[in-house]
Amino acid sequence: MACCASLTFYEAIRTMDNVTFRAEIHEQIEKAGNADILVGIPSFNNARTIGHVVRAVQAGLAKYFPDHKAVIVNSDGGSSDGTMEVVHKTSVEDFNAILLHHRVKPISKLAFSYSGIPGKGSAFRSIFEIAQRLDAKACVVVDSDLRSITPEWVELLVKPVLNGGFDYVAPLYHRHKFDGTITNSIVYPLTRTLYGKRLRQPIGGDFGFSGKLAQFYLTKDVWESDVARFGIDIWMTTTAIANGFKVAQSFLGAKIHDAKDPGADLSNMLYQVVSATFDLMENYADVWVPIRGSEPVTTFGFEYTVGLEHVNVNTARMLKLFRESLNNLREIWLDILGAGDLREVERLGALSDGEFDFPLSLWTRIIYDYAIAFHQKKLPTEHLIKSLTPLYVGKTASFILAAEQMEAAEAEAEIEKLCMEFESSKDYLATRWK
Amino acid sequence: MTEFLNLMLEPLQEVFLKFKSFLPNLLAMLVILLVGILLAKILRIIVVKLLIAVKFDSWSDRMGFTTLIRKGDVWTKPSAILGAIVFWLLAIVTLMVGLSALKVAAIDQVVGHFFGYMPRVFSASIILVVGYILAGFVSRAVLITAANSGFHYAKLLAETVRVLLAVMTLAMVMEQLKIAPNIVIAAFSIIFGGIVVALSIAFGVGGIGVAKRMIEREATETTAEEPKDEIEHI
Repeated sequence: MACCASLTFYEAIRTMDNVTFRAEIHEQIEKAGNADILVGIPSFNNARTIGHVVRAVQAGLAKYFPDHKAVIVNSDGGSSDGTMEVVHKTSVEDFNAILLHHRVKPISKLAFSYSGIPGKGSAFRSIFEIAQRLDAKACVVVDSDLRSITPEWVELLVKPVLNGGFDYVAPLYHRHKFDGTITNSIVYPLTRTLYGKRLRQPIGGDFGFSGKLAQFYLTKDVWESDVARFGIDIWMTTTAIANGFKVAQSFLGAKIHDAKDPGADLSNMLYQVVSATFDLMENYADVWVPIRGSEPVTTFGFEYTVGLEHVNVNTARMLKLFRESLNNLREIWLDILGAGDLREVERLGALSDGEFDFPLSLWTRIIYDYAIAFHQKKLPTEHLIKSLTPLYVGKTASFILAAEQMEAAEAEAEIEKLCMEFESSKDYLATRWK
Repeated sequence: MTEFLNLMLEPLQEVFLKFKSFLPNLLAMLVILLVGILLAKILRIIVVKLLIAVKFDSWSDRMGFTTLIRKGDVWTKPSAILGAIVFWLLAIVTLMVGLSALKVAAIDQVVGHFFGYMPRVFSASIILVVGYILAGFVSRAVLITAANSGFHYAKLLAETVRVLLAVMTLAMVMEQLKIAPNIVIAAFSIIFGGIVVALSIAFGVGGIGVAKRMIEREATETTAEEPKDEIEHI
């Protein structure tokens, strides 16, 4: 049963509020009038995978929200591989196969190239604009390279907003114990400590949020900054928490996506994520400085164990990089960490691979010292955060060596210990942040 | 007798008349000096206060200026140094303007030369400051990038880049100041070229072992490939 109406485009351009859309898109938005649910899919050259994502979303909307008016919005960054054509052509051919019989309201699809600075943030801005225009009650954004998305993701991200009164729903995935190390060792402990909410995947990439929150996002003047390029995920999460919106998380199972670019540089990734997190600390200092401790957030979904593929790691190479950098970056680290902690780092460098163990308290102070150095503008941001890379590599190697024989739950308990260390040392950060 | 007296008094009278006509110029110079130095002092105070207000000293710490001046055994704050530079610059300009008020042809020529040279000094100063900042920025970027990619000699590479940029900056400054431009260009070419040749030879000779190891590793990799990292950091 086909239920989706595709749209065609003209080249004329019209501007809606601050975002430029082609006239045809503008007309389609006006024609749609309003929508209960909007599902946004940002993309850039994802023709191989976006079809599966669109099908899962269509099935999810048909299965769980058959009587709600829904729109799927593909905000594309100018793909050259026919991503938008795939979105238009994709529809669930046989709804009987997924035990569905009919859908009361059709699902519209909009696919367009967004305007503005190239980046995920600009793609999201267009999605927020359309959500505002359609007066959407609940919105969802999902990555276009997901291979493990199921129709249930739509339910789990939309229902807490539509029926539970929540404004923001973050994802909760099961991942291999060695994956997501920037999240596990920096972003999660830091965000949790700063804002007092235990959102396990603050930069997960797949979120649900209310129309009210989408409108709030649009009021923020960040669309010409780095948020437009990268850092939109942590920005959305932090903005929601720091401004008192009701937040929750939903268990979505495993997150498997298309293989990332193997050439992607680790220090660039670290720079993008950490600089966005530190930048938000500047904006919300009044909010986070007085907070102590953290509280769990409401979690939706039925947790189950998922099979995860083995992950190969070369800890010897990681430790070599850490030790080499001790000599090369000594002066920079001395300036940021101070003599005491640098001595501790040097002591670590002298340990053999078997003895190597990065103390949680030292790692916590390092992250806090980097945040303070960022605040005091000790170095240009890119230099400062990229100089953290070897320390992060050392910390990651230490975790991998310690967690090698651990079950997933034990590895998670180690992350919890780190979070508690971050929380108990928060005074160190707050008193130095002036 | 009268004639003799006239002969004696005439030069004195001439000197007196000349001094009389010169006196207003001298007074003008003294007033210019007094007002100029007073203004320079006031301006120094304003500049220092302004620099303190915009936290120039901590910016200098971050940019490495403080370390640089400490190396030269100067222990004054960077804001005070800049204040003193402004004061002395204005004092010298005042002196030149004051001297030109004397309307002495020889002095006028010197003053003319001085003001003609000032734009060169100004642009040379800008080149020096920009060059210094750029050398620090680029060499630190090289250091961090090389260290993050596991290059053992990252520090040496960064220092080399810093020295090359410093040599280039100094050559540009000297050329701008027209201090023996031919010698400067020749010296720069010799030094810069020499460094490049020396580095090429050093890398070439020193790199034999590295190249050997790389080839050996390449050969062993075909039999036993090193496991690749599959971690997803985000």
